Amino acid sequence: MTHSQVQNDIVLEQIIESMAQNFSEDHDYSEMIERLNLYRKLPLNINTATKEQLEDLFFISPIQINSILNHREANGLFIDVLELQSIIALDNNTIRWLLNFIVVLRPGDFTNLSFKNMVLKSEHDLMLRFGQVLEKQSGFYSSDKNEAGTYSGSAMRMFARYRYNYSDFFFASVNMEKDAGEPFSFKNRLKGFDFYSANLSYKGKGKVRKVIAGDYALQFGQGLSMWAGAGFGKGANLGSIARKDVGLRPYSSVNESFFLRGIAATFEWRKFSITPFYSGRRIDASFSDSNSQISSLQLSGFHRTKTEIFNKNAVSQRVYGANMQYNAADLNVGLTGFQTRYSIPFAEGNTLYQQYNFIGSTLNNLSIHYSYTYKNSYFYGETSHSLNSGFASMKGLISSIAPAVSLVNLYRNYERNYHSFFNQALSESSNAANEKGFYSGLAIRFNKEWELFTYADFFKFPWLKFRVDGPSSGLELFGQMTFTPNKQFKLLSRFRQQRKEENTEDLDGGLDIVDKQDLRIELNYKISDDFAIRNRVEIVRYQKGILYPEFGFLSIQDIIYDSMGSKFSGNIRFAIFETSGFDTRIYAYENDVLYSYSVPAYQGKGIRFYVNGRFKLSRKTDLWIRYATISYASQETIGSGGDLIEGNQRSDIRIQLRLQF
Amino acid sequence: MKYICLICIFFQLSVHAQNNSGARSKALGSASTALEDVWSLRLNSAGIASIESVIFALGYEQHFLDPELSTQSAILGVPIKDYVLGVSFQRYGITEYLEQTAGIALSKKYSDALSIALSMNYHQVSIPFYGSENTISVDVGMQYSLNDKLRLGSAVTNPGRSKINDLSGSQIPTGISVGLAFDLSDKVLFLSDLTKILDYGMNFRLGIEYQILKSFNLRGGISANPFKQTGGFGFKFGRIAVDAAISSHPRLGYSPNLSLNYEF
Repeated sequence: MTHSQVQNDIVLEQIIESMAQNFSEDHDYSEMIERLNLYRKLPLNINTATKEQLEDLFFISPIQINSILNHREANGLFIDVLELQSIIALDNNTIRWLLNFIVVLRPGDFTNLSFKNMVLKSEHDLMLRFGQVLEKQSGFYSSDKNEAGTYSGSAMRMFARYRYNYSDFFFASVNMEKDAGEPFSFKNRLKGFDFYSANLSYKGKGKVRKVIAGDYALQFGQGLSMWAGAGFGKGANLGSIARKDVGLRPYSSVNESFFLRGIAATFEWRKFSITPFYSGRRIDASFSDSNSQISSLQLSGFHRTKTEIFNKNAVSQRVYGANMQYNAADLNVGLTGFQTRYSIPFAEGNTLYQQYNFIGSTLNNLSIHYSYTYKNSYFYGETSHSLNSGFASMKGLISSIAPAVSLVNLYRNYERNYHSFFNQALSESSNAANEKGFYSGLAIRFNKEWELFTYADFFKFPWLKFRVDGPSSGLELFGQMTFTPNKQFKLLSRFRQQRKEENTEDLDGGLDIVDKQDLRIELNYKISDDFAIRNRVEIVRYQKGILYPEFGFLSIQDIIYDSMGSKFSGNIRFAIFETSGFDTRIYAYENDVLYSYSVPAYQGKGIRFYVNGRFKLSRKTDLWIRYATISYASQETIGSGGDLIEGNQRSDIRIQLRLQF
Repeated sequence: MKYICLICIFFQLSVHAQNNSGARSKALGSASTALEDVWSLRLNSAGIASIESVIFALGYEQHFLDPELSTQSAILGVPIKDYVLGVSFQRYGITEYLEQTAGIALSKKYSDALSIALSMNYHQVSIPFYGSENTISVDVGMQYSLNDKLRLGSAVTNPGRSKINDLSGSQIPTGISVGLAFDLSDKVLFLSDLTKILDYGMNFRLGIEYQILKSFNLRGGISANPFKQTGGFGFKFGRIAVDAAISSHPRLGYSPNLSLNYEF
């Protein structure tokens, strides 16, 4: 393999960070990371790759996918990966990323045989991970077990993962997890780990395309009605704005909320496919005072305190329905219908802004989605209806108006009373409802070295929102310029401005404009074959109404070591941050052990340090160790509730072992 | 209705006096400091140096879909040897408030690369029962082609800080703008500019024009401050060119704009 582990982690980091502009701790991209890792291990042959397979590499835009396929059709099979450079729709970045996940194999190639051999066998992959915060956190040391912030389990995090595949058609997967503070015991009717997830899946080439029993995820259309797992929104990349749905796939993440449990299958007949699905599982919820109605679903997946354990699996959720699709070369049309039913009804919201929230126990969703390629344009959209309540709709157009110029326009209109429990569509709010907006983006490659990506998004919220006591509007402007004079050097500068309305600080009422500006400059360069360096400086300015502006500052120094012959690879980060508070916090993606990642917010004043190492113990055994610490300059405690630490430092250690056999 | 009109008028005036730079420029987010067009007369008159024959143009903009509130303009560009002479008239307002501007500009091409222009504008504001006032302002502009793909432009408006303060509080903006025009391909033109108006923030504008058919163009643009999203198209039938634009303001709504050029 030409690309080593750490370099690849850097690529994954770049991809995720460019796709997910507004990310925070609660987004779960582990499925996507695992998907890309799989393609790294078994790269896609660009000469046989189908549209669906290329769509799995979610950072490529639909126009780019089309241009790769057209190139192959017009010029015959690829001879070398460098041929990608002659496809004008592909920018340097995308090519560089793509090279990590594809190979060029021609029929009759010697490598083709060994490639096939590699696939046609059964493989086991077992991974164990342990982690713990090293400082004393109050939740673990409280004497009163009934106190609100008291955790019932130990501070250690444990995770075990097992994957099995027989050739490329049969797969099995098991995930087991225990978060910090959750009990690990087999007594008192406890079942060891806090969370288990497993599935068996079959992938076929005939009429039966996919069958999954166990935990699975569904992604249809643009995610307005059914999208389990994270989806990208407004990113620093054209590819992020049009979703590529993958339909049915095995669930592999440890997020305890967004998945389905039951049985589902995809059947294909000529150009038609149908995916019926059934799911029944218990989920966490908290209740209204009378305990007879749900006040909200609990999505954190934590079961540490008495209340969290009480809310665990409190409601049963049943989902069933089907998706039908027509797939032609240029056209894809799909219809999705499903019912979500809870054992206990949802309560009416207490406040005015919750007036249009879902109430009752049964929700029916119906949605239609399409995508159509015409010459250099890609039309896509979805309209979804929650029966007896509202509609939500989005329509997008990506056009490549010149070889190096692409334009995106996206209109969205989500009614305030639109509901879906699996709604993950592009939106400014956390949920695609109560929002209207128009997004336009432009990507230009001026020459081989300079690239620009910019967008403007204007949005309105017709109904009230949390902390916004009136209809409001806002906008977002984004511009990114990259300069890549050679393979060793990359300079990136990025500006983003967001303007929204929020309740004023005083109680007189009315809304204030909240303006947040963010400037980032990042430098990546290789100093030798083994060492790469990255510097980042980020400044945030936040202003609410006529109050004084607040500022946040972050500076990062990364060193990445990765030597071809060496059994060791690793990276180190040192960062200094100084932000005035929560509103000026700065998020940064952090490297972690394989398949794991974190996106902490740097907030307050202090320094951050981490070191990641990977040791290749044998051909089939790998060991990862990560140590991370954050130390604050002017704080005497860190965190709150059960996470409270008396002191100004918080360190975390993580060990991961992987065996492949 | 009248009340809304007045709010609109003053909202606009606090930004800058009404300026209809034609439907092509409007559709391009008004990012036209480096644009070559007869309508450049209204933003950077150096841009009119590009015309090769006499052009007469009419323009109409309806503000925020209010039939009573509109801007009407007429423009004439006449090339004479190395010079292009431009004349413009503009009328904006409602019966109760009227703003009229007449301008004359002279643009000279010094080589294929450089053109410089000077223009003089006469402004009049009249409010029935209160009277009317007038003043004269001067603008300077230039455009420079770095190569056959990239052109830079800059313009200074009203450096003398003329004003019609007493009557309406209206100001003729004093500002400076720099911009670029980049031919991304023979079909795609990219425009961007940065403007600073005295006593008002900076504005960044961006526009893109796509020649989808030989005589049909699609356009889109963004203005950051005040925030506007714009779009439009243009047809050309022989000597006649018709351009249409619409701009959307987050609070005040949509403003359609239409212009008609005739080339002699």
